[in-house]
Amino acid sequence: MEGVSYQRFPKIKIRTVRDDFMKFELRETDSSIANALRRVMIAEVPTIAIDLVEIEVNSSVLNDEFIAHRLGLIPLTSERAMAMRFSRDCDACDGDGQCEYCSVEFHLRAKCINDQTLDVTSKDLYSSDHTVVPVDFSDSSTGFDNTENRGIIIVKLRRGQELILRAIARKGIGKDHAKWSPAATVTFMYEPEIYINEELMETLTLEEKKEFVDSSPTKVFDINPNTQQVYVHDAEAYTYDDEVLKKAEAMGKPGLVEIHAKEDSFIFTVETTGAVKASQLVLNAIDVLKQKLDAVRLSADTVEADEQFGELGAHMRGG
Amino acid sequence: MYGGGFQYKNYPNPYPNPNADNNSSVVVEVDDDDDELEEVNDESQEISQEDAWTVISSYFEDKGLVRQQLDSFDEFIQNTMQEIVDESANIEIRPESQHNPGRSSDFVETIYRISFGQIYLSKPMMTESDGETNTLYPKAARLRNLTYSSPLYVDVTKRVIKKGYDCEEVTEAQDFTKVFIGKVPIMLRSSYCSLYNLSEKDLTEMGECPYDQGGYFIVNGSEKVLIAQEKMSTNHVYVFKKRQPNKYAYVAEVRSVTESQNKAPSGMFVRMLSRPGAKVGSSGQYIRATLPYIRTEIPIIIVFRALGFVADKDILEHICYDFNDVQMMELLRPSLEESFVIQNQQVALDYIGKRGSTVGVTRDKRIKYAKEILQREMLPHVGTEEYCETKKAYYFGYVIHRLLLCVLGRRPEDDRDHYANKRLDLAGPLLGGLFRMLFRKLTRDVRSYVQKCVDSGKDVNLQFAIKAKTITSGLKYSIATGNWGRANAAGTRAGVSQVLNRLTFASTLSHLRRLNSPIGREGKLAKPRQLHNSHWGMMCPAETPEGQACGLVKNLALMVYITVGSAANPILEFLDEWSTENFEEISPAVIPQATKIFVNGNWIGIHRNPELLVRTLRQLRRQVDVNTEVGIIRDTRLKELRLYTDYGRCSRPLFIVEKQTLLIKKRDILALQQRESPEEYGWHDLVRKGFIEYVDTEEEETTMISMTINDLINARCNPDDAYSETYTHCEIHPSLLLGVCASIIPFPDHNQSPRNTYQSAMGKQAMGIYVTNYQIRMDTLAYVLYYPQKPLVTTRAMEHLHFRQLPAGINAIVAIACYSGYNQEDSVIMNQSSIDRGFFRSLFFRTYRDEEKKMGTLVKEDFGRPNRDNTMGTRVAGDDVIIGKTTPVSQEEAQAKSARFTHKDHSTSLRHSETGTVDQVLLTTNADGLRFVKIRMRSVRIPQIGDKFSSRHGQKGTIGMTCTQEDMPWTVEGITPDIIVNPHAIPSRMTIGQLIECIMGKVAAHMGKEGDATPFTDVTVDNISKALHKCGYQMRGFETMYNGHTGRQLTSLIFLGPTYYQRLKHMVDDKIHSRGRGPVQILTRQPAEGRSRDGGLRFGEMERDCMIAHGAAHFLKERLFDQSDAYRIHVCERCGLIAIANLKKHSFECRNCKNKTDIVQVNIPYACKLLVQELMAMAISPRLLTKDVKSLKEQKNKCG
Repeated sequence: MEGVSYQRFPKIKIRTVRDDFMKFELRETDSSIANALRRVMIAEVPTIAIDLVEIEVNSSVLNDEFIAHRLGLIPLTSERAMAMRFSRDCDACDGDGQCEYCSVEFHLRAKCINDQTLDVTSKDLYSSDHTVVPVDFSDSSTGFDNTENRGIIIVKLRRGQELILRAIARKGIGKDHAKWSPAATVTFMYEPEIYINEELMETLTLEEKKEFVDSSPTKVFDINPNTQQVYVHDAEAYTYDDEVLKKAEAMGKPGLVEIHAKEDSFIFTVETTGAVKASQLVLNAIDVLKQKLDAVRLSADTVEADEQFGELGAHMRGG
Repeated sequence: MYGGGFQYKNYPNPYPNPNADNNSSVVVEVDDDDDELEEVNDESQEISQEDAWTVISSYFEDKGLVRQQLDSFDEFIQNTMQEIVDESANIEIRPESQHNPGRSSDFVETIYRISFGQIYLSKPMMTESDGETNTLYPKAARLRNLTYSSPLYVDVTKRVIKKGYDCEEVTEAQDFTKVFIGKVPIMLRSSYCSLYNLSEKDLTEMGECPYDQGGYFIVNGSEKVLIAQEKMSTNHVYVFKKRQPNKYAYVAEVRSVTESQNKAPSGMFVRMLSRPGAKVGSSGQYIRATLPYIRTEIPIIIVFRALGFVADKDILEHICYDFNDVQMMELLRPSLEESFVIQNQQVALDYIGKRGSTVGVTRDKRIKYAKEILQREMLPHVGTEEYCETKKAYYFGYVIHRLLLCVLGRRPEDDRDHYANKRLDLAGPLLGGLFRMLFRKLTRDVRSYVQKCVDSGKDVNLQFAIKAKTITSGLKYSIATGNWGRANAAGTRAGVSQVLNRLTFASTLSHLRRLNSPIGREGKLAKPRQLHNSHWGMMCPAETPEGQACGLVKNLALMVYITVGSAANPILEFLDEWSTENFEEISPAVIPQATKIFVNGNWIGIHRNPELLVRTLRQLRRQVDVNTEVGIIRDTRLKELRLYTDYGRCSRPLFIVEKQTLLIKKRDILALQQRESPEEYGWHDLVRKGFIEYVDTEEEETTMISMTINDLINARCNPDDAYSETYTHCEIHPSLLLGVCASIIPFPDHNQSPRNTYQSAMGKQAMGIYVTNYQIRMDTLAYVLYYPQKPLVTTRAMEHLHFRQLPAGINAIVAIACYSGYNQEDSVIMNQSSIDRGFFRSLFFRTYRDEEKKMGTLVKEDFGRPNRDNTMGTRVAGDDVIIGKTTPVSQEEAQAKSARFTHKDHSTSLRHSETGTVDQVLLTTNADGLRFVKIRMRSVRIPQIGDKFSSRHGQKGTIGMTCTQEDMPWTVEGITPDIIVNPHAIPSRMTIGQLIECIMGKVAAHMGKEGDATPFTDVTVDNISKALHKCGYQMRGFETMYNGHTGRQLTSLIFLGPTYYQRLKHMVDDKIHSRGRGPVQILTRQPAEGRSRDGGLRFGEMERDCMIAHGAAHFLKERLFDQSDAYRIHVCERCGLIAIANLKKHSFECRNCKNKTDIVQVNIPYACKLLVQELMAMAISPRLLTKDVKSLKEQKNKCG
């Protein structure tokens, strides 16, 4: 098949962008690319998260491991993450992961001195780097509960209890530990194409139409109050649950509607943890994906690269 | 549902649970399609099933969940103990006459009389080794391995009575008040416990868990529960048909025990012989009785004659009552004929006396002996005084009457397994028996001590005579070991006391409500193990172990009350007043017309108007004028009225129904809901006002109970369709028939029953928070879940089990799907990202303990470690020493060994397979004032492949694979499941409850409410489905999912939703084991056994069989010999015995044969060498012949 090119030019159309949310259409590509993008966003876009905790004093009810685990899960603003080094291949600090290129230091110092329980939150973490701080959720546009926004609770202290610790945050990816995953949810759906067989539909009474419309748990169809015609209200609300098809069958009208999934058109929904902006997450994901593809391409050319890319190289050679 | 939904919304529960909104049940409105209900709506006072829960709440508020234990123990402390002391006779000591030359007494006789009076019990106390006494609190007792017990004091009077020669008497009395006689372990939260009636806040401050219910003891620091013991009820006539062929056709038996049960039950059997065989010339079916201490059976007529009823007519009317009953009379004919020869009381008595244990005594003595037996030993519960013959004859006649009724087929034989015939021995009676025995031993010791003093003419010092240790250590021994009865004496029961299970809060509760039937586990008789109709509402139908103890170990249902026993006297007085005629007043001829009255199995008399009597009795009981726990059974067929006041009967509260309506009304529920404090108007008032009464198992048989309140309403509306027009009671709620563990299962009424049993067992292994004070306890083993959640789908009973406050699981998003194949055969796929985020993480604690023992007076062991500087937070791993202890080497030993060492190491090291961090160190002194240390080690357990999990429906599985979020299947909403279980787990197991839980969980999560999964309510799948549809999901819980690896849609819809999952305590890290070489046993030199000893993996018989089948002989030899206990010995070729070999010098010798040349080396297992040597020690010479026998003989011949 020399000369035939399967190259396609995927297009992205952004529908909504907010800080931690984004919805866009990805067209003219196939599910492998869409899924690769999804997987990279979840597992391979780097962020910064607390990875090492040195506890000096801990007289709280939670033990050291417990607090360390909780600290790890706090999302930190990670715009720097792409540019940072993984501490395992940082040559500035001999791999002990404590230098400015690969790590950020945090301090926490809290003691409860009165009878009211003290909430130790992510806001009590002091960062050595002002670009890497615990994510602040208070500025979100939803604007509810702004006054009492206290960040993520780490532990509650009773009178006399104290917590002093030093934490090191490092760069990492979601594949290694979920704390480094920047994505809350990343999902896409195949765009549905819905055809209503108007002729058949008109044979239904209004009652039956209502029944048909209600058979879908999501509001895919609706009835035009004027013409009393069934129309597609929101095709994307369709979850491929086949409820309407079954209903049509049960009413003795198979083929009342036809629904197909478009194979080359995807609607993505991305929500982030706040570590990176949603838009940035997509861009970073594309970058990471490109790097990976580059690596594959390189390894196909040079034998030396095989070593570097281990298994992947073997795949390329058809092993 | 009549009134249901809307009424309770109008009256919200006044006790909103802080964690749960009470109106939160997801139950979808139920169609009110019953039109006829409209017309009854004017009875607006009618309560609904929802209101019943208010009543149930008030019950649990008042009683808690371990009331039976506490009530029973309180009864023991407050009454039984004093009774036991009172019933003991005075100790009377006369000096044994001694030859005492030179001194003549002024008195003829001196009598020492010691009597015990009032007892006193203080709060739990503890005496330190330095003599300081303080009140003891449970926390300290648990931590310092002390016994939570109270000192018991008694008033003792000593009288010295001196009788002069002229018959004058001089009495010197001396009172000793409050003499210490021993320490009694105190049940936690009983009325003598330091924690009694403390508020939640106080309890927390004292380091106690406010949810902990008490009901157990603390002995040597470990928490002990007394398991209720089931036994057959006494003083009850049972008639059984014997399985033929048997000598006997029918047997009636009574196991008679007097009320102050200080003796073993005396059994009385009345047997009817089988139809006479051809060989014996007997004329019919004789009836004979077995009397205690009499070797042979006595014909019943002789027993009557011995009791003084000689004439046939007299005897017959005591048995038959009605002479027109020809059939019955005919059955007695052979017996009458048999005893024709004995026509006189004296002869009859002699007949019995001859068959007693006395031999070679005069006739008069024999008659006296027989009289004694009849008076004291036969049917003692009827009476042991003189002149009880009439009563005894009536009772004996009644026993025969019952036997004959069964023979004639007028009554079926009795049911041994009917729960009315069972009594439960709880902590109180168990301790009572023990205390009686120990107190008797104490008085015996006192007697022998005083006797000794008196005989040797010393002063009698009571302080020395009373050995408090008898009771203190006697009670402690039994509770600590569970051997009920004296140490190493026969007839003790093992396993009565058990260590309280503290794995999960539910397991603790369930353990406190457990019950054991001491019937042989080996017996393959299935009947006692089966669920009996009479278990309804008393015993949980689901919760029982599998295997050997199946059906023998039971658990109480939630709303059971075990009677503690009350005096029969008030009842007897009442009966007397209400014209009950006793035997002196009546002639037997009137019996058939009247109703026989029994109190606690003893026939008191007859009554001619039982209807009225029963009505008044019931009325009085409902007004609490008669004790509420008295059982009133009117048996119309037998014409009997049986009253019971004894302890150990199972009873349960029921709504009283009159004229098809409940007596409890809406306004009473309102009053209950609107009260401010629990003391104000509670459960007790409901009982006092006669809305509710306790009905025991026997009485239950005479009632007509409607299952639900709606049944009553329906019965009223259309009486023609009603099941009964004479309902007497109504269930409070049918779901209360379940026990603690089964009440946690959502929708148990939709599961196959064994699954509920499995879950009941598994719920006890789930991790959660077992008590709120776990951080200050030092339990040997403890598991705590990181992020426990209260379930989305709950049952109403959970509220009272505090399952919301102390949960044991997580609401996991569960998909039922085949995905990648790593969840086959009951394994599950778990989301690694969820695990990273803390899903089912848990803590594991293990406590190590040691003490400095005293060796001699001065020498003591010594702790080197732990010390204050470097304990907490230290990482420890396999075999690290955590308690460093040395023992000084004694002088003699030191000389024997090399004198270089002065101390010997006695350290405790961590288990070699475990790692962790030192969590807490406790260094204190124990009861003997010795230094004592407890070290708690902690480690975090992250779910990994091989760990065990289960849903709440007996669906357990291990992790087969973990997948990260991106690899998991996802829905359009971006949801990835936490757990994927295989669909094959469902059809054959039929755990439909799990599926309903899942869709209800989905609805609950969407509506932000809890789902109600209480069994036997009108929640239907259709209702839930409709609600789910409204939430915008496929109504049956299916969702379209996409493959995480490829992004393509999965071909089938996936059942997905939140399901409550439990992490079970079985984890791979605690099980993983392998060994190449390692330790061997000293004796056999075979590899050690078990993981904890780094033992070998057994190559057992079946594995051996495989190798033989394969013909892999060399492999077999390698496994069983080379890799096990290979050994080499040298054997003399001539005699075949082991020779002396010195391999260094290359010299071999058999001294006996004077042989230094013909020695061979033999490879044998060490175990074989051991056998050879052991045989030699027994003077048997095992010879190992290395040549064939023939050549050996030749050799011998040559020599010879």
